Amino acid sequence: MKIQTSECILSIKDVSKTFPGVKALQKVSFDVRRGSVHGLVGENGAGKSTLMKILSGVYQKDAGAGTVIFDGETIENTTPHESMHRGLAIIYQELNLVNTMSVGENIFLGRFKEMKGMRGTHTSARELLDRIDCKIDTHKLVSELSVSEKQMVEIAKALSFKSKLIIMDEPSSSLTAEELVELVKIIHQLKEQGISIIYISHKLDEIFDFCDVVTIMRDGQIIDTKAKVDLTRDEMITKMVGRSIENEYPERPQNVGATLMEVRSLNTRKLHDVSFTLKQGEILGLVGLVGAGRTEIVRAIFGADKTDGHQILINGSAVRIKNPNDAKLAGFGFVPEDRKLQGLVLPFSVESNISMASFEKFTKFGFISKSKESEIGIRQAKALVVKTPSTKTPVKNLSGGNQQKCIIGRWLENDPRIFIMDEPTRGIDVGAKYEIYVLMKAIAEKGGAVILISSELPEVLNMSNRVLTLFEGRITGEFNPQTASADEIMRAALGMTEGSANP
Amino acid sequence: MKKNIALLGQSFLRNYVLIAILALIVVTMLVEPNFMTFANLINIMRQFGPLVMVSLGMTFVIIGGFIDLSVAGTISLVAVVTVTLIDPIGQVPAILVGLGVGALCGYVNSLLVLSSGALTQAEALFITFGMSTVYSAIALMYSGGSTKHMRFLKGDTSVIEALGQGSVGIFSVSFLVFLVCLAVLWVFQTQTRMGRAICLTGGNKTAAHLCGVPVSRSIIAIYTISGFMAAIGAIILFSRITTASPVIGAGYETNAILAVVVGGTTLKGGKGSVLRTVMGVLLVILMSNCLNLLGVTPYMQVVTKGAILVLAIWLDNRTQI
Ligand SMILES: Nc1ncnc2c1ncn2[C@@H]1O[C@H](COP(=O)(O)OP(=O)(O)OP(=O)(O)O)[C@@H](O)[C@H]1O
Ligand SMILES: [Mg+2]
Repeated sequence: MKIQTSECILSIKDVSKTFPGVKALQKVSFDVRRGSVHGLVGENGAGKSTLMKILSGVYQKDAGAGTVIFDGETIENTTPHESMHRGLAIIYQELNLVNTMSVGENIFLGRFKEMKGMRGTHTSARELLDRIDCKIDTHKLVSELSVSEKQMVEIAKALSFKSKLIIMDEPSSSLTAEELVELVKIIHQLKEQGISIIYISHKLDEIFDFCDVVTIMRDGQIIDTKAKVDLTRDEMITKMVGRSIENEYPERPQNVGATLMEVRSLNTRKLHDVSFTLKQGEILGLVGLVGAGRTEIVRAIFGADKTDGHQILINGSAVRIKNPNDAKLAGFGFVPEDRKLQGLVLPFSVESNISMASFEKFTKFGFISKSKESEIGIRQAKALVVKTPSTKTPVKNLSGGNQQKCIIGRWLENDPRIFIMDEPTRGIDVGAKYEIYVLMKAIAEKGGAVILISSELPEVLNMSNRVLTLFEGRITGEFNPQTASADEIMRAALGMTEGSANP
Repeated sequence: MKKNIALLGQSFLRNYVLIAILALIVVTMLVEPNFMTFANLINIMRQFGPLVMVSLGMTFVIIGGFIDLSVAGTISLVAVVTVTLIDPIGQVPAILVGLGVGALCGYVNSLLVLSSGALTQAEALFITFGMSTVYSAIALMYSGGSTKHMRFLKGDTSVIEALGQGSVGIFSVSFLVFLVCLAVLWVFQTQTRMGRAICLTGGNKTAAHLCGVPVSRSIIAIYTISGFMAAIGAIILFSRITTASPVIGAGYETNAILAVVVGGTTLKGGKGSVLRTVMGVLLVILMSNCLNLLGVTPYMQVVTKGAILVLAIWLDNRTQI
């Protein structure tokens, strides 16, 4: 594809980036046309985020390697501040707002003078938010906003710099389906206003929904750039992972047995009389809107939150779980919802992050054995194909998906009998998702069970043996996803009907 | 160990504060002939003992993601209690009670921090600041506000004197005590499960808790260690200056935090080492000494220390994204 430079807002040529021990980017070239939505896909660790961080000036590309031309201007040694003012905005997955300040103040952070004080700040902020049809009150504190509202504030902030290109790095990974619809609307509006967008996502449906052009990366290289209309889903997946994938989901576990765990009358401020059973060898899916109480249920079972009383029976006998350590000893594993906040200890090495739930295995008389710890780290990193130069690398240097694998590996080391997975595939590429599904299945088939929460309905429906729907803290239905329709299940999750199988 | 030294070297180069202080020392050496005298070096060694003990304890609190401002009050209280008990119960029991009081102060701090939710460094800051005044006030009430002099005591004070002034071969006793403490704490931090739990707690409390790491116990441990080490510092301090006033510990909290931060342990928690702190303590003392010799007024010295602390924290925030 040859395009005139004037048609391109961004033109990257032969850019490389090396981290100690990792060639993150090798001679990457691609162009973004003005006013287009440019999708960027690739496996975990392919180099997508790194490339974007080079554009925004967080990282510097390798010296002497390649050129970046933005809006007709060659960019060298830029800083995030400079590139923001030049009209290139980037919205990171971990949003960068000041929680204790208002929406308006955040949009014009550090520019109150230009705005002629608070009044001007808030009126201008209002205008920007109106441009994307967003109704948030500019006086509201950012800490009170939902993730999607925060994203909108970031977008308004980008608009305030008269951005010509907005990069969104996995914006949808923490959005609900409804919030995504809002985001898509905004993306279309931005496009109409002549703003270009680079959209990174592991959710291929989105890419096909609203991107004009798609670039596929693998191992730090650009594999292909194609107009969406010329691309099929299979072709895209094949180019991403370097082999073809027949099915996106393995077959679900086959041998569902007797009851393994019973939860009785779980009550908290948000949950009302939740009771259910978990059977040996099954994957149990929890479906509900954000705020329906899915995460609350699993956190309560795991001992992470206090409850107003509940009872747990495992294999028929009551167990008391007062804290996560009790849960761990009772054979639970837990992959939390928020990787950075609840899962990882970012400055620590990959192996310390993997080993931190299985101290018993590498301590004796209270002393730790570093070599045994390394063994654990290496074993799990290998089993899950974690892409890292070494297990001593700080986990914060890994790509998002590989960080998630570390958390899963941490619990697999304990051979959990009941594995709770809250959004286990968030930010994970198609290939690795499949591997995680296989792991879930293996746990179930070894006589354990998995509780799966996911905001991606197809995932729950294709992997679970049984699905529970939740609405406003109550279980509203139980379904067999092999026989029930997605529509039926969604209606129960929206509180519109009672579930058919077992009200 | 080798890796630790390499790390130390790396952080050293990146740490502008260290370089600035070293520059100050070099300048002092050049312009002030008194710096390299034997008397001055002894002087430096004397200040080293108490501060390094307090700072070693503080290192754990900071690695654990918290902070302890109460050490000033703890030191005063321990010193006063120990001194007044020498006559009635004898010196060794008095020392043991003093150490116990220090550990108890720390333990009480940890319970207060835990009961407040133990969420942020800010809460710990206010709680331990409050407790510092409480401990100081108890010290004042206990001593009736008067300063105790060791030479007016009737009981035997040989052990205490040895601690502050005695020596074995070329090493002073307090230096040997320091080496033992350093070795024990270093092994504790890097080789034990509890030490790791403390580091993980500092790195990410929520994640650690969800993995079954004993977060509450880690918090109790760091404050108790800090109180205990402050008590050792207090006894060495008292035996060195042979008097114990109820405000003897004032200023130790800022100096200890300064030493820990200048040594390169991050205030954000999780990462750091007691070895770095030793270097930080040396630098802080050398800096005070240089400023003294250069004739900088005490007020300006306080300003300088404050500025360096702020600068160190600022640099730390900028280098770790
Ligand atoms: N600061 C860093 N230091 C060392 N290596 C790094 C650093 N940042 C990224 N890397 C490495 O560069 C490679 C590319 O990472 P990048 O984050 O760009 O991947 P990605 O395509 O965004 O993946 P994901 O979809 O999982 O987010 C990875 O192998 C990662 O480990
Ligand atoms: Mg990424």
